[in-house]
Amino acid sequence: MQQSSEHSAYWKWIPASFALAGIIVFIFATFGPPASSSGFVSTLKGFFQVVAPGYAASKTHYQIIPGPGSWLFAFVVGMAIGGFVAGRTFPVPTRDVPRIWEQRFGSSRRRRYAATFAGGFLILFGARLAGGCTLGLFISGSTQLAISGLYFGVLIFAFAMITARVVYGPVRKETIE
Amino acid sequence: MTKILLGLFSGIAFGFVIQRIGATNAGKMARAHLMIEPDIPRFMLAAVVLSAAGLLGLTAAGVGKTMVLPTSIVATGLAAIIFGIGWGLAGYCPGTTWAAAGEGRMDAVFALLGGFAGAAVFAQLHEFLIPLLYDPTNVGQLTLADWTKSRGAAVAALAVVFSVCIYFIGKLWHRQPDNG
Repeated sequence: MQQSSEHSAYWKWIPASFALAGIIVFIFATFGPPASSSGFVSTLKGFFQVVAPGYAASKTHYQIIPGPGSWLFAFVVGMAIGGFVAGRTFPVPTRDVPRIWEQRFGSSRRRRYAATFAGGFLILFGARLAGGCTLGLFISGSTQLAISGLYFGVLIFAFAMITARVVYGPVRKETIE
Repeated sequence: MTKILLGLFSGIAFGFVIQRIGATNAGKMARAHLMIEPDIPRFMLAAVVLSAAGLLGLTAAGVGKTMVLPTSIVATGLAAIIFGIGWGLAGYCPGTTWAAAGEGRMDAVFALLGGFAGAAVFAQLHEFLIPLLYDPTNVGQLTLADWTKSRGAAVAALAVVFSVCIYFIGKLWHRQPDNG
C-alpha cells in the first residue's frame, strides 16, 4: 500500500521532462545557461565579503562569480523554496536517513550525515574544478551541444554507478521490492 | 531586481519539478545508480534533448544567451570522477541539495554544508589547481556542431544517441526481483 501511493505520487518521467525542459528553455531565454554549483560560491562570496573582505577580494574564484544579489544566488534560494513547497504538498513523508542506506548501514544519523557531508564536499570540489555540476555542466552544456558537458556527463554517471555498487554492495531482493 | 525575481521564479519551478520526479530523494537516486529505478536518468536525458531542441528555436529567433564551457581533458575528467564518487556516496548533486534541504531532509543539510566546505577549499586552491590541471589540456569551447557544420544536425544526432540511451535504461534498469 505504501509502495503504490509512493509510485502514484511521483510524476511520470515523460511529462516531468517536458516540464523541466520548459523551465530550462525559459532560463536560457531570460538569463543564460542555468547553473547551481555557482550558487554555493556566490553564497560564500557574500559570507567572506562580510567577515573577511580582503580575502574575498583577493581570490580569483570569488572575483569570477557574482555575489548575493545575482541571478545565480536567487536561483539556489528559489530551489530551496521550490523543494519546501513541493515537500509540503506531497503525500510521502521525507526521511533523514534513506531506507536503502538504513538497510546497509543501520539507522545512525551521525554516520549518514558524515557520509553526505563528505559527498557534498566532493561534488562541490569537483564541480568547481570542472566549472559546473549536473545542471551547470552536464545539462546546460549538453543542451548547447558542448563536448565538455557530454564528457563530464558520461564520467559522472559511470563513477556514481560504480560508487553506489561499492557503497551498497550487491543488490538484494529487499532493495528492489 | 528583475534578475533576482527571474532567478527566484526559475529556482522555485526547477526545485518543485525535481522533487516531483524524486531527484531530491537520495534513496531513489541511489536506486537509479544501482540500476533499479530508471525514471531519474530517463528524465534527465529526455529533458536535455527537449531543451536542446528548444534552444535551437531560441537561437534561430535570436533570443537568449549561451555560454559553452571549455573542455579540459585532465581537469574536466578528473573533476567528473571526483564528482561521480560524491554523487554515488551521498545521492545528492549540487542542485538537489538545495531543494532537498528545503524539503526538510537533514542529510541534505549536511550535504549542503559539505558543499560549502568543498567550494571554499577549491576557491582557496584555484590559483594553484587551474594552471596545474585545467589550462595545459584545455582544448577550447568544442561543441558537436563543430563537426556537423549545422546546429540542427548536431541536435538531431544528440537526440538519436540520447534516445538510444533512454531505451536501454528502460530495458536494463529493472524493478522486478526475479531480474536481479
